[in-house]
Amino acid sequence: MSALIIFSLLLVLMLTGMPISISLGLTVLTFMFTMTTTPPVEVAHKLFTGIENFGVMAIPFFILAGNFLTHGGVAARMIRFATSMVGHMHGGLGLAGVLACALFAAVSGSSPATVVAIGSILLPAMVKAGFPKRFGAGVITTSGALGILIPPSIVMVMYSIATNTSVGALFMAGVIPGLILATMLGMTTWYLARKNGYPRLAKASWPQRLRAFRESIWGLLLIVVVIGGIYGGIFTPTEAAAVSAVYAFFIAVFVYKDLKMSDVPRVLLSSANLSAMLLYIITNAVMFSFILTDQQIPQTLAEWMLAQGLGPIAFLLAVNILLLIAGNFMEPSSIVLIMAPILFPIAMRMGINPVHFGILITVNMEVGMCHPPVGLNMYVASGVAKMGITELTIAVWPWLLTMLVFLGFVTYMPEMSLWLPRVLGMVQ
Amino acid sequence: MKFLDHLEEWLIATLMGLATTIVFLSVAHRYLSGFAIPHLQDWLLTMDVSWSQEVTIIMFVWMAKFGAAYGVRTGIHVGVDVLINRMQPKLRAKFVLFGLGAGALFTALVAILGAQLCWHSGLEHFAYTLFGLPSDAFGGSTKPDTGWPVWAVYLAIPLGSSLMCFRFIQVAVAFLRTGELPHHDHGHVDGLDEEMEVGK
Repeated sequence: MSALIIFSLLLVLMLTGMPISISLGLTVLTFMFTMTTTPPVEVAHKLFTGIENFGVMAIPFFILAGNFLTHGGVAARMIRFATSMVGHMHGGLGLAGVLACALFAAVSGSSPATVVAIGSILLPAMVKAGFPKRFGAGVITTSGALGILIPPSIVMVMYSIATNTSVGALFMAGVIPGLILATMLGMTTWYLARKNGYPRLAKASWPQRLRAFRESIWGLLLIVVVIGGIYGGIFTPTEAAAVSAVYAFFIAVFVYKDLKMSDVPRVLLSSANLSAMLLYIITNAVMFSFILTDQQIPQTLAEWMLAQGLGPIAFLLAVNILLLIAGNFMEPSSIVLIMAPILFPIAMRMGINPVHFGILITVNMEVGMCHPPVGLNMYVASGVAKMGITELTIAVWPWLLTMLVFLGFVTYMPEMSLWLPRVLGMVQ
Repeated sequence: MKFLDHLEEWLIATLMGLATTIVFLSVAHRYLSGFAIPHLQDWLLTMDVSWSQEVTIIMFVWMAKFGAAYGVRTGIHVGVDVLINRMQPKLRAKFVLFGLGAGALFTALVAILGAQLCWHSGLEHFAYTLFGLPSDAFGGSTKPDTGWPVWAVYLAIPLGSSLMCFRFIQVAVAFLRTGELPHHDHGHVDGLDEEMEVGK
């Protein structure tokens, strides 16, 4: 009964268009004032203790690191490297787009920023080379989402906060699925380009490739610093995030010279802006999940599902559908913070591996960014490509379909995610 | 008003930069003090950096509370707007104002609750003794690593939430006057104006 009240209240408040954090907070306050005897001061206390956690601090650090490298100059270097490597194959610039998006998204940590940065440079070049605009827009919109699967990933940190799963294991688990998805998107691009006879570039010579690699390597080393640092036990995920932020600052200002020292306060401010918004959702979501646990809602739900004879296969299918629907209305961080505390206990009862479940949720978030009506990537891509959402919806479908097939693989082949962290001894 | 805006921006950007520097230096300290470099190692070992983690967390919580207020001004707090965007402009305006009002209400409630929390966890005792009055209120606890009084650290909640409430009202008033809301551009990237030749 209380579950019904809590969720209807949250849903109604959210549909009025108020910030998600505020609707979570108001739901909690209303529930506490009217239906429990918990002193309301507890709420204020939770607002502080909810994020008083060193693990959470990885989020602002990763955002800062990404913002230092979210620059047209870095995007241009990644594109040059990608075109020199794969430009001569079928799909040429399109294939390079997939690779450049994967690299830039991993480093910048932001899917929409990737679509804008890579798209603004690559789309005009593709149109000029004779590709249909739809093709280019489809490639960039979907490949831009690759970033949240390749570490460092904010969405994975969110999941780890909501469920107490190891960030290091999640990061490792994302590597192979990330590579497979990039390959699959590349294959779709390659196939369509070959079928339609789209132009290819002249093969780059090895000295050219080496030069392009040397230029982009400084940005790419950020991924190595994070993964290597965490896996090598050199630092904790949060420390890795802070070190990568300092590294990104050093590269952007002194090596690439994309930023001047006078730009740094602006980068700090915009990173603080985004981090504070996410931390605000986290605090309110922590209170919300506290209420859920207090009312035993996930446990009751799990019991009920088991009593219906629902097995892991049907459950995971339901989770995918639920998350894909949620992806129509909300951005990834909010979905993970609201849904994970509800779904996680059920998944555990079904014997699903917590790391595998995290990767599954992350892939769902990726798909959600790329489909209408509110996929954020769609919106920014429609701005960059100057195409309407309807036209873009048609443009993305071959790649969107590829992503859905991939989601099926991730869902029912846990080994794909778990193999690498298991070999490295990070999961059982 | 301009002064408040600048103070807010300056505060959160500084906290962000300082916290990053502190964590980075504490990691560097841990590794450098492991090397047997004469003098440097001795000097590093005399330093006590156990406070760094706690200070970082406190800085970030303050950054988060004031940054959330700044975020109202920049329009970064997003909601589910698929439904209201399909409404007639007049009806939509009502819902927008309702949302902003709800934001102001929630942040005001949190500010009050937060003030109570601070008051009972040591601020009362501090205020009485400050004015030389006898106090039998709870003196409050301190943070384990830094020894800072907990109530002072918790002040971020009432202060930040009051500011946030003020920002919601400010945005609502501006919306009533001009019909415009602040809008945050998630896809903003610098340095894209230069032309680039691809595949040459």
